[in-house]
Parts: sequence; structure tokens; C-alpha cells
Amino acid sequence: MAVNKWVERFFGTPMPDAVVISSFLFPLIYLIAFLIIPVLVMLLTAFLYHGHISLFWFKSIFGSPYYFNPLHPEGSLVTTIQQGNQTVYYLSGWDFGVVINSILVSLTVMLLTTILGVTFAFVMARYDFPGKNIMRILLFVPLLVTPFVNVVVVKKMFLPNGLINWIFYQHLHLFPHPIWIDGLVGVIIAQSITYYPIVYLNAYASFINIDPSLEEQAENLGSRGFHLFRTVTFPLALPGIAAGATLVGIFSLEDLAAPIVFQGTAIAKKLMSFQIYSSFVSGFAIGNPQMAALSLIMLTIALIMFLTIRWYVGMKQYAMLSKGGRWKPRVAKPKGWQAAIIYLVVVPLLLITIFPQIGVVLLAFSRRWYGTWPEGFTLANMKALMTQPDIVRVIENSLIYSTVAIAIILLLSLTASYAAGRFKKAKLAPVLDSLATIPIAVPGIVIAMSYFFFFSTVPPFKGTILDPTNLLAFFPGAALILAYSIRRLPFAARSISAGIQQVHVSLEEAAVNLGAGRWKALTSILIPMILLNLLGGAMLSFVYCMSETSVGITLGSINSTWYPITAKMRELIMGAVGSASLAAALGVFLMLVQILAIVIANVITKQRYSFIGLT
Amino acid sequence: MVEVKLQNIVKTFGETVALKGIDLDIKHGELFTLLGPSGCGKSTTLRIIAGLEYPDSGKIYFGDEEVTYLPSHQKGAVLVFQNYALWPHMTVFDNVAYGLKLKGMPKEEVRKKVEWALELIKLKGFENRYPTQLSGGQQQRVAIARALVVEPKVLLLDEPLSNLDAKLRLEMRSEIRRIQRELGITVIYVTHDQEEAMAISDRIAVMNVGTVEQVGTPKEIYETPRTEFVASFMGKTNVVPAKVVERNGDRVTVEFESFRMEGLHYTDNSDDVVLVIRPERIRLNQVENGVSLTGTVDLVEYYGFFVEVIGLFGETRLIARTISDRGLEGLKPTKPVTFYIEKDDIIVLPKQQL
Repeated sequence: MAVNKWVERFFGTPMPDAVVISSFLFPLIYLIAFLIIPVLVMLLTAFLYHGHISLFWFKSIFGSPYYFNPLHPEGSLVTTIQQGNQTVYYLSGWDFGVVINSILVSLTVMLLTTILGVTFAFVMARYDFPGKNIMRILLFVPLLVTPFVNVVVVKKMFLPNGLINWIFYQHLHLFPHPIWIDGLVGVIIAQSITYYPIVYLNAYASFINIDPSLEEQAENLGSRGFHLFRTVTFPLALPGIAAGATLVGIFSLEDLAAPIVFQGTAIAKKLMSFQIYSSFVSGFAIGNPQMAALSLIMLTIALIMFLTIRWYVGMKQYAMLSKGGRWKPRVAKPKGWQAAIIYLVVVPLLLITIFPQIGVVLLAFSRRWYGTWPEGFTLANMKALMTQPDIVRVIENSLIYSTVAIAIILLLSLTASYAAGRFKKAKLAPVLDSLATIPIAVPGIVIAMSYFFFFSTVPPFKGTILDPTNLLAFFPGAALILAYSIRRLPFAARSISAGIQQVHVSLEEAAVNLGAGRWKALTSILIPMILLNLLGGAMLSFVYCMSETSVGITLGSINSTWYPITAKMRELIMGAVGSASLAAALGVFLMLVQILAIVIANVITKQRYSFIGLT
Repeated sequence: MVEVKLQNIVKTFGETVALKGIDLDIKHGELFTLLGPSGCGKSTTLRIIAGLEYPDSGKIYFGDEEVTYLPSHQKGAVLVFQNYALWPHMTVFDNVAYGLKLKGMPKEEVRKKVEWALELIKLKGFENRYPTQLSGGQQQRVAIARALVVEPKVLLLDEPLSNLDAKLRLEMRSEIRRIQRELGITVIYVTHDQEEAMAISDRIAVMNVGTVEQVGTPKEIYETPRTEFVASFMGKTNVVPAKVVERNGDRVTVEFESFRMEGLHYTDNSDDVVLVIRPERIRLNQVENGVSLTGTVDLVEYYGFFVEVIGLFGETRLIARTISDRGLEGLKPTKPVTFYIEKDDIIVLPKQQL
């Protein structure tokens, strides 16, 4: 046997080795089959018009003011309306057409989440004040994902008789008139409150990781206060903050929960995600190539954001030059005015942002919620989680789908991280690495749309249980498991490849050198050593699978027998009066699952896993 | 025990040529050292012998058997890694027993062998500890035991002492030597520390940018270097550019500054040469059969038991090393000084091509 240069070029190992080659090929083939090809099929659909390659569908979007109206926006940001005998400021936003609305909402959400996230992160990273530990625990609350119902609570908070007006108009008299936030502004507020923890976590980690001596040197040279923050602290933390903000931008773009909850106002429907979604549920527009084109536009925007931030962060990856020395975190007692800002602005802001989760719990235990506060305590909704057959059914469905998806995710991320991490010289390694992270930038609704076109037209799948147009046989669970395994792969893969990077390659080489084959070295050395990362990755992905929304409420809601939890929640919040409370109970159930997962991850693995909100 | 032979080993990593045709002949039961600066290819050579990398061309023999492309786990050349590579999730016993269990050895026999190995490295009683509960030196011993217990044909040691503190380093050095003698095993040892190499080795191969510059016993390498690189890598030395003015068999007359002298001849035909003179071979008192150079004192450096006198001869600085003694007080900067060198201590080598 001799060195095979061809094998070495592609797989990074000179000897053809079954373990290595299958570690490359399994995730590669899976990702190509269930991510790349479906998207390509959708792409082809978008470019086909009566059997010819054409830009017709794109022209139909950009030529229509409904979709693209940059110059003459309709509506206004604020109007005053008379409600009964009182004047109300009504905020709903301008309408620039679907495509521009989506981009503007996404950018505004990025800005607001950055302000919120960086403020909280800076206070937590740099100040020591009475009540900080309580704040640390409270900051954990908005990380809990409760699809739809948290937006329901946000909407209630910003009604004329909602909590915000109750505080600022009725009691503090800070507003001259009550405000009412609705439409696109409502979507922006709801998304900002939902997603700012992502920026917070990134910014906090960045602030903590700045070598204190860098700031001390600047102070030593005479820089202080805001100047120090602007010239040293913020630039050093910027890559992390920008990465968090970009993730938020992508999530905002693909979010369906907020537009669905606010859809009572027509303008809230004029977002790309909602348009694609509604073509799905309305039925008549399903399979419309114009929606494929719109999906493609959305995917392109998300990919541009994703690739830009990867390039930027890669470029700004400052290797910390520090060698040795003392690493004492820079935590100071706030001065008088700083303490005033913390207690009078930052803490109240935090309380407002955690109210949606509190509201979900209140809603779950109440009979109705018309005014400022919910009324009529009841345990009926929580009891229904265990007794009402359709509710029990969706919980079972989601548990089964997520468990199967997790098994696939673990196998995919273990093989992909092993191959790409251990055989870096292989030509396929960077390909695999990119393919395993790219699902972050692919909106869920785009995956749903691609799967629809792919499984309903491409031969091996057409007419099988994966074909959504094959109404009698279609089993949504299979499509959901595939979608979950692709969408949630990056999170587990990141945890596992971090683990593999921490295990020095010599530990496996020593085993191989002592007589172990690759398989034996993998199972006896590497896997036991990264068990905690595997567990952590599994927990994280499980939580995200359970709360997955986009695919769940589209492909997953074709047949109510096979609903996942989120499909049921969507149905409930749109349903009869009082059914939102039942949706909230499911939200509470999801929160409990997340808390359990976090506790397991923290206690058993003794590692801190940051959960980031995803829908 | 086995003889290890490397024939014209070439290895490239992408565009970089790491090894440019290595030939080595390592004898039975020998402690053979690959010595060179970082990046010279010594570790790559070791990894190729271990089967963790494969050469682009060339052949490796263990005895009469060609083993060039044998996978690592079939090769029987066991490597002790620089970072020890002890598995933190296994006890000392399980670490050492790993290779034996892979061979399917019965439990009782595994226990006996592990016991033997731990006794050999003086760590009996540590079986149930985890690597993190051991000191650096103990970890090193476990790594050696783990390699020895499988009775390798060749034991490979990659910078084994580099992670230990100075005192422990000396201790482990003699420990490795003792074990090697006791077992009569062939050991290939990689280091960048010339002093360590000289103290421990039967023979040394000095490597530089992917080639072997010289192979020989420590004494040969130190006293009769064949290249400028070897001369300057093996301890502090004077390297003086000079011109050949006359050739006479194995003697050659050379000239630098205004001085003319005779030296041992290892040059090719080039007239551009360097003189290599060890500082301890430059004396401050008259020698027979030598040359004398008169110049001025530039600097005197006191090191405790020896003193270095740096003399300035024209533009050239020469270092003389001498035992600290009375009578050196007169040596002060700018004062005149005479250096004496025996003819046989002047080695004339071709100038290094850069």
C-alpha cells in the first residue's frame, strides 16, 4: 500500500480510511441532499417561466408597489386617533412594500437590540452594585423561548390600556396621551424584546474577554470615561457585538411569530416572511413560483448579512497579544449618577423586557386578559397539558420529532466536526465546515418552501410520505425531522467542534501509535473526552427543535394529527377567546423544558451554555 | 531490538519541503539523537518513523523489513509525545494497559506487565491515580511506561524533557539513559538542546532545514564539525571568515585581517572559508605548535567558574574561555592581550551557503 495523493487531497489522510472517509461523506451527502439541492430546486422554480429561464417572477416582485415601493411610502409612523373620549397616539409604521419593510424592520431591530444588549452587558460586565445578582438571574428570563405567546403579551403591554400606559401614562404621567403600538412598529418592538439577549450574550462575552491591561494602559495614558469606551473598549468588543446583531437581523428577517400575532393590522402582513407563510396556509397560492422568487430574495439578504459578518469578524479577529500578567476583571462601584442610571433606567428597562415571559405565565394561569392585568385564576390550562388529548398529542409529537432529530444532529455534527477539525488539510474540510454553519443563515420559511418544491417535484421523493402534495400519505413528521436536523445542526456542531479543538490531536495519535485503529481511537479516546460537549450540544439543539416555528407552522401544520407544539400554539392564538391561555400553557411547558435543559447542562456538565433565543 | 534504516526520505507539506532526502542508519540498542533547531524536520522524521506521517518518497526499514507505508498501529515504533498525551479520562493503570488490551492480552498478564512497567519507572502504587493528579515528571514517566510496556521495536522520544524544570530535566535524562541500558532497546531521541543531546546520546544526527548535516558521536560532532552550521549550533564558538592562501594536503594556510595561520582542512575547492575555533581552545598563555594573535581586550565577562575574554583583532572579535584564576586582573578593556591557538584547534570549513 502506498500513499494515495488523490485521497490525501480530498480527505487529508494518505491512507484510504473508512472512518475518515465516511466522516466526510455522511454529513456532506446529507447536507447536499436536504439543504443544497432543495434550495437549488426552489431557485430553478423561481427562474422558470413557462418552461424558460426568465426573470419574470423577480420582475413581478420588483415591479409591484405592493412588494417594492421605496419612494412613496404609505401610512405614517404616528397618528392620533380618538378612542372613546380620549386621544391615543397610534404607532404602526410606514409601508415601503414587502421587501423594503422586511429590510427596514430587520435593521431597526438590529439597532434597538444592540442598544439594549450593549447597555445591559456593559453594566453587568463593569459595575458592581447591590442587586446585581438578582439582575443576573433576571437577565436569564428573556432567554426563554415561548413562540407566539410572548408576542401576544407584548401586544397587550402596548395597548392603550396595557401595562406600559398603566405605568407611564396613568401613574407616572410621563406621556401626554396613551400610546398604542401596532403594525410594523409592534413587530419591531416584539422582535427587539425577544432577540436582544443574543446581542447581550455576545457583548457580555466580548467585554469580559478584553484584557484589562489594554484599558489600564489607556487610562494610564490619560483616557477616561466615554473616551476610553469609544476608543478602546467598544472597538475591541465590536466584532462580538456585530456578530450578535447580525444574527438578530437574520432572525428578524425570518421571524413569523410577531407578524402573525400582529396580522390584525394589514401592514404587519407586509413582510417577506409573512407573505411566504400565508401562501402556504391559504392553500391557493401554494406552489406559486413568485413565492419561490421571494424566498430567494430573502435567502440572498440573509446570506449577504451572514457572509459579511463572517468576513468582518474574521478580519477583526484580534489575537490577544497579552502574555501572562494579572487578569483582574475591571469591575467598579458605580458613581452617583451612574448608579442613578442603573436603578432608574437600566433596571426598569430590564423589568419591561422580562415581562413577556412573566405575562406568559400569568396568561397560562388566568381565564381572560382584556385590561392591564389578566383575570380569573385557573389551573385548567396547565391541567390540559396532561389531559386534553390534542394537547398531549402535540407534546408527544414534538418530543418524538425532536428526539429523532437530535440523534441525527449528534451524528452529523460529530462526523462533520471530526472530519473538518482533524483533517484540516483536506480539500473537503472547509467545504464541510461552511456547509455545517450555513443553516444559521437560511431562514426557516425558506427551508419549508424549498422542501415543498423539492419533495413534491423531484422523483425519488415525489409521491412518498415526504411529498406535501400527496395529501393522503404525507407524514409531516419526516419533513420536520429533516428540517430540524438541518436548522439546528450549527448549534450542536459548534459545541462539539469546540470540544474536539480542546482535545490535542496527540491523544488520538498516541492511541493509534499504540495499536488502535481510527475507530478504536475515536470511541475510546475522543468521544469519552468530548462527552460533555456532546451532551451540551444535544441539550441546546433539543430545546431549539422543540420551539422551532417556521417549518412547524407550515409543513408541520398540514395535518393536525401530526402537529408539533408550535403549530398548535399558532392555531390556539388565532382561535377562540381564551384559547390563547392554552397556548400560554404550552409556552410554560416549553420554558420548563428549557430550564430543565439548562440546569442539566450547567450542573452535570459543569459548563455554562448560553441559550440564545430562536424561533 | 531492531536496526532502523532511512533511505532518501522526502516529505513536503503543501509548498514547503520539510525533508529533502534523509538517510540514517541507526544501530541495534543505540540511543540515537536527532538534533536541530525548530523547523529543521527532526520531529517530522520521528513522526514518519512512528507511522503518523508518510513520506512522499524514500524507504524505511526495521531490520530487513520495509515498513515505509505500514500504518502506525502495525509498526511497532512507539512514540512518547512531547506533551506526553496521557488520556485524562483514564487512570495511570488504564493508560499503561491500553496498548496491551488492544493486543487482546489476558487480564492477569496485562496486570503483571503494567506492574513491571510501573516498577521500571518507579511509579508503583500510582495505578489508580489520574494523570492530572501527577507531577510533570511523573506524567513523563507514565508516558514512557505506556510506550515501553508494549515492547516496541523502537522507542521514539520527542523532546521528552522540554516541559520539565531544570533539576527534573537532569534527573529524567539519566533515568531515560538507565532504562535504555537496562532494556537494551533502540531509542530515537529528538531534541533542540545540544547539551542534552551530547550528554545522553550514543550518536547524534545534526539536522538543518530538512537535511542531515552530520552524523557522529557527541565528541566527533563537537570537536570535528564538518559544516559551519554544525560548528555554530554545538555550543558557543568563534566563526571567522577567512581566505585560503595555500593548500598542503590536509593542512591549509588561511588569512584573516592581517593574520596568517595553518589549520585542519575540510574545505571543498572554494577559497572563501570560515575558521572555527572553540573558545576554550583559545589560551591566554604560550602554546607549542600554534599561532599567537595580539590585539586589545574588548570585554571581560565573568561567569563564575570560567571567564570569557573578548579580544578585538582588527575588526574581528574572538572569544577565549578560561578557568577563573588569579592573574586575570590585568585584563581590562583597551589593554593589550595575546591569544594563543594550537594548529589542530583551528578548523577550516567551507563558508555556509545561504
